[in-house]
Amino acid sequence: MAFLEVQSLTKTFGGLRANDKVSFSMERGELVGLIGPNGAGKTTLFNCISGHHPVTSGRIIFDTEDITHLKAYEVARRGMARTFQVYVASGDLTVEENVMVGCFMRTRSRKQAKARAGKVLKDLKLEDLSHYLLSELPVAAQKRVTMATALGSDPKMLLLDEVAAGLNTAEVEEVMASIRHVHHDLGVTVMLIEHVMELVMKVSDRVIVLDYGEKIADGPPEEIARDPRVIKAYLGERFVREHTGEFR
Amino acid sequence: MEAIRDAVDFSDFPRTDLIIAWMVAVFFLVFPLFPHSSFAMATMIQFFMFALYGMGWNTIGGYGGQVDLGKAQYVGIGAYTTAVMLIRWDIPFWFSMPVGMFFAVVWSFIIGYPLFRLKGHYFAIATIATSLVLKDLFDVWSFVGAARGLEISPIEYPPPDFLRLIFKEDIYYYYIILGFFFLGIFYMNWFRKSRLGFQLRSIKDNEDVARSLGINVHLAKVKTYAIATAFVSFVGSFHACYIKNIEPVDTMSLDISILIALMAMLGGAGSLWGPIIGAGVLIPLRSYLKEWLGAAAGLVGIDLVLYSIIIMLISAVEPRGIWGIVEKVRRRKRR
Repeated sequence: MAFLEVQSLTKTFGGLRANDKVSFSMERGELVGLIGPNGAGKTTLFNCISGHHPVTSGRIIFDTEDITHLKAYEVARRGMARTFQVYVASGDLTVEENVMVGCFMRTRSRKQAKARAGKVLKDLKLEDLSHYLLSELPVAAQKRVTMATALGSDPKMLLLDEVAAGLNTAEVEEVMASIRHVHHDLGVTVMLIEHVMELVMKVSDRVIVLDYGEKIADGPPEEIARDPRVIKAYLGERFVREHTGEFR
Repeated sequence: MEAIRDAVDFSDFPRTDLIIAWMVAVFFLVFPLFPHSSFAMATMIQFFMFALYGMGWNTIGGYGGQVDLGKAQYVGIGAYTTAVMLIRWDIPFWFSMPVGMFFAVVWSFIIGYPLFRLKGHYFAIATIATSLVLKDLFDVWSFVGAARGLEISPIEYPPPDFLRLIFKEDIYYYYIILGFFFLGIFYMNWFRKSRLGFQLRSIKDNEDVARSLGINVHLAKVKTYAIATAFVSFVGSFHACYIKNIEPVDTMSLDISILIALMAMLGGAGSLWGPIIGAGVLIPLRSYLKEWLGAAAGLVGIDLVLYSIIIMLISAVEPRGIWGIVEKVRRRKRR
């Protein structure tokens, strides 16, 4: 049995089918990219997996356990961490305190949580920022801190929702290094939603493509880049018709 | 063990804070030894009571960001439990106080469980409503004296009765509430560093993120609401012995609820010193305003006008109150 198994997952909002019979599976230790045009249902899929949205139909099995109907905090406690796409840091928590909240999932002791937070921050090369308020930091750093916070809970799997959106090239490099570290050194299974293709194609073992809520492709990055259905989804029918020769 | 060490460890505050805190603490300890009016004494006791109310409110309202405007119902439960048990069965304060706390906490679960399904303004309004409903019930419940309330009227004052907390001189009340005031500070100092404290701050920041970090948001809120309630109910019990005359119209009024929230909000919601600063500003102001203006000039509503102005100023200028301003200035200086 696969590590994460999503079976025919459907999520509707009123008449809108945000996810339509999406099925895929992931092995332990894999790094899978999830791409698709805006509104394709990527974040909805994450929300269903992480328990933030109730699923309309279908099944999600994580590490041999059916988590379809578990609440978000229960899914998290089973080792599934995630970050959020739009995260407005308004509060008065410092970077270190934020990461400690994550660490508190596994311990009651403040001392242990603090020690673990220090380690995670060091691993992601964020230790210099420990005492800043999260809201004071630039977006790139904030996104890495949210990754660190998720890692604080010592997850088996991490869902990253657009950690590189809106960052410049140098910042994307930093984020990419962090993702590699999480995946290679910590052995966390990672699934990431990303619009920065450079990042997705470089780090992913496999890429899944969603369009209008349906899975339209699933394969290694090189294959996905050449798949006409994917190109159509991104660039439109006409483009594909005119350029088919070049892509085949 | 770690909890006790955390409770007495204030080392993360700047030295200036600690020096000021020590000076204020010493002042509190020696205040009754110097000549003072009985009015000043009463104001000081009121200050400690409201600082404790504010500390309780600060757990759920400050750290958790859930604006609760219904704390008066728990003041009432504490006060009435102690008064009824004392008058009817001569049960001492030290027994009736925890019983009152127990009733209040049970009631807080009954109220809190459904209410925390609501958010923001809706939650605030619902807390007001439940508090007013309970007040109306007490208003007609003859067992607890209905609208006339209850009076603890010792025929003669025996020597200081530490069991029942019945004293002729205010100085005994002063030191008892001062002791609990210090205990309250230690508790809050532990609370802000505890797992629950961190979880609440995360909830205040973003509930979805909190959930993704394994936090049962609803349960954390209900639990903290019970902690806040225990504080408030304790002071309510003390209030019964100290004021000796409780009626729904002043013990459980909306004014009290708002004042409790205002203490913490003015001083700085979500900070250790906030409720103390807030009570330190508001209580003397309230007492002396009433004394100077209220009775004399017929301006009975002036304190209410003042509260409204303060609420508007807080929301417009600095949502984190006086302490928020202090921290802002400090952060600016550091850079």
